[in-house]
Amino acid sequence: MEGRLANMWRLTVNESKFVETALKSELRVDGRGLYDYRKLTIKFGKEYGSSEVQLGQTHVMGFVTAQLVQPYKDRPNEGSLSIFTEFSPMADPSFEPGRPGESAVELGRIIDRGLRESRAVDTESLCVLAGKMVWSVRIDLHILDNGGNLVDAANIAALAALMTFRRPDCTVGGENGQEVIVHTLEEREPVPLIIHHLPIAFTFGFFNKGNIVVMDPTYVEEEVMCGRMTVTVNANGDICAIQKPGEEGVSQSMILHCLRLASSRAAATTKIIREEVEAYNREKSLQKVKRHPTLAKSEVSGPIVVVKEGDKKSSNQVKAEEISVEHVERLKLSSDEVKSSSEQEAASSPSHFKGGPSSWDPYSEAMDVDSLKVSLASKESSVTKSPIKKKMNDDTGNAQKEVTEDIEKKDTAEATKQKDGEMTLKDAVKPKRKRKNKSG
Amino acid sequence: MMGTEVSSSPKTLIDQIVVPGDVVLDLSSMSNQTIKLGSGLRQDNDAISAMRAGKLKYSKPNKYWVESSHKRYVPRPEDHVLGIVVDSRADNFWVDIKGPQLALLPVLAFEGGTRRNIPKFEVGTLLYVRVVKTNTGMNPELSCTDASGKAAEFGPLKDGFMFETSTGLSRMLLSSPTCPVLEVLGKKLSFETAIGLNGRVWVNAAAPRTVIIVSNAVMNSETLSGTQQRIMVEKLLERISD
Amino acid sequence: MQRIYSQNVPPSTPSINLRRIAAAIIGKESCEVTTMEYVNPEGLRLDGRRFNEMRQIVAEVGVVSKADGSAVFEMGNTKVIAAVYGPREIQNKSHQQKNDHALVLCEYSMAHFSTGDRRRQKNDRRSTELSLVIRQTMEACILTELLPHSQIDIFLQVLQADGGTRSACINAATLALADAGIPMRDLAVSCSAGYLNSTPLLDLNYVEDSAGGADVTVGILPKLDKVTLLQMDAKLPMETFETVFALASEGCRAIAERIREVLQENTKQLEYRRAA
Repeated sequence: MEGRLANMWRLTVNESKFVETALKSELRVDGRGLYDYRKLTIKFGKEYGSSEVQLGQTHVMGFVTAQLVQPYKDRPNEGSLSIFTEFSPMADPSFEPGRPGESAVELGRIIDRGLRESRAVDTESLCVLAGKMVWSVRIDLHILDNGGNLVDAANIAALAALMTFRRPDCTVGGENGQEVIVHTLEEREPVPLIIHHLPIAFTFGFFNKGNIVVMDPTYVEEEVMCGRMTVTVNANGDICAIQKPGEEGVSQSMILHCLRLASSRAAATTKIIREEVEAYNREKSLQKVKRHPTLAKSEVSGPIVVVKEGDKKSSNQVKAEEISVEHVERLKLSSDEVKSSSEQEAASSPSHFKGGPSSWDPYSEAMDVDSLKVSLASKESSVTKSPIKKKMNDDTGNAQKEVTEDIEKKDTAEATKQKDGEMTLKDAVKPKRKRKNKSG
Repeated sequence: MMGTEVSSSPKTLIDQIVVPGDVVLDLSSMSNQTIKLGSGLRQDNDAISAMRAGKLKYSKPNKYWVESSHKRYVPRPEDHVLGIVVDSRADNFWVDIKGPQLALLPVLAFEGGTRRNIPKFEVGTLLYVRVVKTNTGMNPELSCTDASGKAAEFGPLKDGFMFETSTGLSRMLLSSPTCPVLEVLGKKLSFETAIGLNGRVWVNAAAPRTVIIVSNAVMNSETLSGTQQRIMVEKLLERISD
Repeated sequence: MQRIYSQNVPPSTPSINLRRIAAAIIGKESCEVTTMEYVNPEGLRLDGRRFNEMRQIVAEVGVVSKADGSAVFEMGNTKVIAAVYGPREIQNKSHQQKNDHALVLCEYSMAHFSTGDRRRQKNDRRSTELSLVIRQTMEACILTELLPHSQIDIFLQVLQADGGTRSACINAATLALADAGIPMRDLAVSCSAGYLNSTPLLDLNYVEDSAGGADVTVGILPKLDKVTLLQMDAKLPMETFETVFALASEGCRAIAERIREVLQENTKQLEYRRAA
């Protein structure tokens, strides 16, 4: 009992009274106006999909990872997005180690609802092999310092991490067209997630029996306020989620007032996030130039079978040695083409089959971060790569055969897919039956 | 006083930054004299070493201590601190003074306190109190009177705003001559303040605006030098008068 | 507002069948969200209701003999039982934070048999969040300052889930609290509304709820005209939200009316019994 008393952070009567009286004359203890936001800084980590957000004293880290898993039975052609929160006891004495507490669960659910239910992230594009393999994207949100309004900070951290995340490219191939090949980062440009819009959370605090409302409450204000509401909106003015979990009642007009405030803010915050992400991407693309020599070489030695691009890339590679800046542009260009071609494919097949150009590679079972690091470190020592190159050459002979077969297979697969797209309920049941027969 | 090692000579270390483990004084090389050690110093046989990071201070004739700034407070007798009432029991109020333990404020430790006129403090009341005893193994004891039993200025603080800073900042605010922040602020604004050595500062004024200005100015002055403080406050006041 | 046509409510349809159908529809429907017709051209929904029509409400108080207050609340095929214990001595001292208010605790759980598929975990994230949300909603309507140093426990169990469980839980909790004689500011009532096929729909059932459209759950204090609970997912333009929100609030008021009737009836019954 005594221990608990001693370890609790507590508010004095003076503070809570003062916060309320100051608010009555539209003043906040940190000098902000009622609807002012604290300073927002977004930083990114070295790896793809990591972000650090600082909102005033609140500090949240976001990290996105992806893994190939079997899809849920009721969503055979959709990847999944899950959010995990970690309220580390180092951030606040009231956070207890072990199982996530109520507030941690609620925070995760608010962000989850905002991102998922509004379909901000395209989960269908995360499908690799319908019913068998999809990408499961996981967002980890770590609270490093609690200065109040964790929801908004965590939401921005999640968005920033998602926007800078790149998953390794993968293709479907193998003998039966059911094998998934994951390409390492130096082999193929990793793929960003498709994000349709940015749902941004704004938290409001209610004071004085719901008559006064402030935006972005601080730690002290959170202790004093009698109610709270989080509104998730995007820049288009759509409302993506609302959470007002009980507490003091407020009038309807107040709620609508908050909604309007939030949607008027959304564009500005979206802009900040986008700008930061762009700056990060620019920096990353500069790094890519350095990495490219090894990349280009491997392309030449193991000609990738997609004919359309094969020409483009080899010619590209010749010029590449001349000017590096131009190079980047070209690279983008070619990657754009990859996209457009894959989009065409996607468009031609009504179901959401995402094959992409296929190639067969014996080395890349999974994404290997270490190998990437090595390649980054040894940009100049491409000479040492020669034995590997040889091997690749040997294999490409086989690979080509395999791939031509593949393409045929894929065509037929696509044809059947096309048929399938028109079918409805039975379609979902079919693959299961097949599997059952096999096992039986 | 003349040590063979230059680094261990107090002459060179005084007003220098020391880190835990630094040998500050070597008693074997010193003439037979008594020295007084303040906070942050520890005797290990002949060696006096620092146990906290901070600035080594010396005052004539023989006092040594390490000055540092922390968020936690280690209670010392006769310190004036700001405490928050956490619980009230039959004999004592339990008061949080940011120390390692909760402090006890006997219900009779008020001017003219008897069993009949025990004050009532709700949980969360802010008190300006004096530390009386800090025996190891016991919760520190507080009092709302000065040494002669007078109420002086001790007791509950009404209204106003309290914020937490570091022990170093509160010591700076209490130093004389008055530190630049308070001095410059005091010329333009009228406010009331109570500063506890445990890093808590209470500010009150007629207008909430003044309270907010003063508290933010004080909080911002944590890492600023005297001149910087002056500039910061002047800029702040300028902006506000616009 | 509250039109209950007995022929529209499927009389005692086994909820499990309904959900099976729902699951099948959802399985198919995951890729194209809004192709399914949830409102036919005549303006009738899948279960024959109109857009602003609620499901049949059946409520009864005093169903758990051991509890200080209890209630069963049914909305169509959604069925929730609530039991209230308290105000009583605080059981777990470590909870004690505010001395001058009653401590309200709430536990929401879904029975394993409440849905078509058997539910596996009991204390999942959804239940934790709902417990929190319901607790805070009830806290807003209980006059906690009148009952210092005491604890009020609200236990909620979903017996049949067919959409709108959180609303049903809040309504059941209100009835149970009233039954327990706990002082309240107002009746806390809740109702949900959604938006499908460009039509705002009141009181979504499971099929409609899982269609991927918007879902707005509103909890109000009808006499004070204050909104306590507001939860919403999926994307909606501002104007549409306002209409859906208004519809849900309207639904809340209708439910409040029904709850009043139930409580009045119950009070009358008690008086009769005393007279006899």
